[in-house]
Amino acid sequence: MILNFFPCLIRYSIFTPLPLFFKHQNLLPLSCSINFIKPISSSSSISAKTIQVPLFLKPPIYSTTILELKKFQNWAKSLSLSIGLKFLNLDNGPESNLLCRELNWLLEDVVEGEEDNPTGFLTLGCSENERLVRMRVEMEELYDLWKQRIEERRPFQYIVGCEHWRDLVLSVQEGVLIPRPETELIVDMVEELILKDKEMKQQGVWVDLGTGSGALAIGIGRLLGNEGRVIATDLSPIAASVAAFNVQRYNLQDVVEIRMGSWFEPLDEFKGKIVGLVSNPPYIPSGDIAGLQAEVVRHEPKLALDGGADGLDDLLNICKGAASFLKPGGFFIFETNGAKQSKYLVNFLNIQMEGSFQYVNSVSDFAGIHRFVTGFRK
Amino acid sequence: MMNNSLKMKSFSVSLLQKSSLRSLFHLPHHPRTIAQLLFSPFVISESKTTVPYIPQPYNLLKSEISGVSSDIQTTIKEHPSTLLLFYNDFLLPTIGFRHFCSQPLVAQPQPQTSDGLTVDDIVANNRWQILEETASDWKSHAASIAQSIQLIKKRLQWKQLVVRLDTLLMELNKPNLWDDPVHAGKISREHGLLMGKMKEVNGFERELLDHIDMLKLAREENDNELELESMKALLKMRRTAKEKELEALLSGEQDSCSCFIEVQAGAGGTESMDWASMIMQMYKMWAQRCGYGVTVVDEMCGDIAGIKRATIKVDGEYAFGYAKAEVGVHRLVRISPFDSAKRRHTSFAAVAVTPILGDASSRVKINESDLQIERFRSGGPGGQHANTTESAVRIVHIPTGVTATCQNERSQHLNKAMAMSVLQSRLDQLELARQAQVNAQYTQSLTEISWGNQIRTYVLHPYRMVKDLRTNYEVSDPDSVLEGDLDGFIMSFLSASIDKDENNL
Repeated sequence: MILNFFPCLIRYSIFTPLPLFFKHQNLLPLSCSINFIKPISSSSSISAKTIQVPLFLKPPIYSTTILELKKFQNWAKSLSLSIGLKFLNLDNGPESNLLCRELNWLLEDVVEGEEDNPTGFLTLGCSENERLVRMRVEMEELYDLWKQRIEERRPFQYIVGCEHWRDLVLSVQEGVLIPRPETELIVDMVEELILKDKEMKQQGVWVDLGTGSGALAIGIGRLLGNEGRVIATDLSPIAASVAAFNVQRYNLQDVVEIRMGSWFEPLDEFKGKIVGLVSNPPYIPSGDIAGLQAEVVRHEPKLALDGGADGLDDLLNICKGAASFLKPGGFFIFETNGAKQSKYLVNFLNIQMEGSFQYVNSVSDFAGIHRFVTGFRK
Repeated sequence: MMNNSLKMKSFSVSLLQKSSLRSLFHLPHHPRTIAQLLFSPFVISESKTTVPYIPQPYNLLKSEISGVSSDIQTTIKEHPSTLLLFYNDFLLPTIGFRHFCSQPLVAQPQPQTSDGLTVDDIVANNRWQILEETASDWKSHAASIAQSIQLIKKRLQWKQLVVRLDTLLMELNKPNLWDDPVHAGKISREHGLLMGKMKEVNGFERELLDHIDMLKLAREENDNELELESMKALLKMRRTAKEKELEALLSGEQDSCSCFIEVQAGAGGTESMDWASMIMQMYKMWAQRCGYGVTVVDEMCGDIAGIKRATIKVDGEYAFGYAKAEVGVHRLVRISPFDSAKRRHTSFAAVAVTPILGDASSRVKINESDLQIERFRSGGPGGQHANTTESAVRIVHIPTGVTATCQNERSQHLNKAMAMSVLQSRLDQLELARQAQVNAQYTQSLTEISWGNQIRTYVLHPYRMVKDLRTNYEVSDPDSVLEGDLDGFIMSFLSASIDKDENNL
């Protein structure tokens, strides 16, 4: 089923990289190994990488009774409730309410049910305890997954293998940063811009630097439609494969191109031709990394988080590159760590890079934090 | 079997010049209306079967001439018997002395059978006894249908309907109507809708009377086949009438909408939060039984059990029409499982229902700049620092202070979209409330929607019963009710609230 997403030239090795969690991986129908042949661009090639298929895309080849599922639900719920505010107080982690909601979503992803209410029989006091339901994982695995969530603080998105982001469902896995809700706003702002100015849509290429799961590139690619072109770069081979997988899922392979490499490195031929530049680069100061929430520090890639001593290494790098890569009138928007970085960057762009940019601004996210820096190439 | 007495013996029509017509009727300068005036009499005289369109003779010339505007008086005096349509010296008000317009007149005289029997006559004094359907007695069928017609009219708030239609007609005939296309569209849509309802009932009524005529005729002429046929038709009508009765219960403007149902726990801690979640569960199951789609929009769990409040979206035809019967405070009496001393507790939960208006033109327009959008329960530096599946959004509409939150979608984008739709519905409702103060006609429906008083009691101990305090409808099996079997309560409330109002007929 998944293989249909790939054109014949691109082939991935698909197997489950976490034998610990999938004890019976040899039973999975998708555990086939194929070579990845086509280099994604001439400047780099993405070698055979492992793609973890999100739970909701796995075939429902297992089955269990509603009673068994209810037992699991009760067990997992009480495990979640036992957490209370513990994680929240410890490192701003999830509290039990949130964990309970995640539990419902996990069930929605693993149970094959009716379209609009897949787990209805669990929540609506169904009395057909003996009825069989089809499942995408085995019960044993399901218990294992929830233990990982609570005991190892493994991010929920890695557990289910996907993140719901805007109106997209993006595949994610260890090694790829889970896209954050704040970052959705970048797409909103780009949408607003291209609605006002049609030229931004048609005249030139858009670039997403450090694309990770491909979220921004896909979000913008969908806005641009068939006439648009987006290039997304990432240094990490895992990120590049996952992004390519997501691009395929949304059938955007003709619009979004993934290139492997560091920031502007694979983009030489676009100097002065880029009409829009977006990026959510690593921006956390190195000293803060150790104190991050367990889900982040234990499981997410440092490469996507650590922005050097003051967190600005990559942002400054990108700002400098933007001056030579953006075409006149070209737009940029970067995500930052908050007010301090935003203020610094606005100053930097206006004063140290005087004459290069105009209308430089910082924009708040929904929590009121100065999250983004935007502006135009003069 | 055209009735001879209804055939026109003589009439004369004079096509006056357009200019004189205008002055005669204070006619708006609208070519369509004039054409209608000119041709309507012919349409009526030519048709063979449009008995319903021939109104009762109306003795304008003889006795009521003083009640007509002076222009018309003059014209009538100047052109005696050449004006319009006459029937035995009676002027037929076929096309409007009251409002001159392209539509048939609203206030039609009551239709009757050839021997002058009306629906009201049939029902009055139990003239014909109503028997079971199985008893093949045509009078019983006819009486039952006549009774249904009366009930349907009452439920449709017939008198108000007529008044409203009149108002709409006047509005429609304003020459500058289409200067505001949105308003015009709204008016003509509403007019079409109400007119449709009225025509349907009138047609049904006429059908009944025709069948009665037919049956009498068949009996007189001993035509067994015709009698049997009419009998069958009457039985079929009797069954349709029952369906129409039900339909008429949900004739409110927003009744066909989907809706949000919001449940909020009353004071009393865990016990009442548990009660709130039981109520929510009841509605979820009720909606499922009805085949509606159910989505949890917002849920705030209690600390130990239950919910502090929750909102669900119920998708489907007439969801609001039914659910609005549930608005108010629901009271539970039981031995609390949360009380170690096993004492009897009383707890409360309040239910609010908001329609989701389907018609885009009737919705309040929200300015983006009036909105303040916040990350709900946000804390810490956010961004790459935090891994969270919590992406709840709260939207505040600054001018009104109305807020909406959604936290059950899996992305911020979708939470925002859902919160926007909740906000939209709340603002729409607020706007309706505002309009209702202007338009007294809506007042009743609005008091029903706002947080009401206690409407129902559920007793699980010391005896078992659920009783609706508004209708006194009760059942002795609380479990089935809590599993969503609410139809009895809803129907009895809907019919009671409409049928008791005698002014509706």
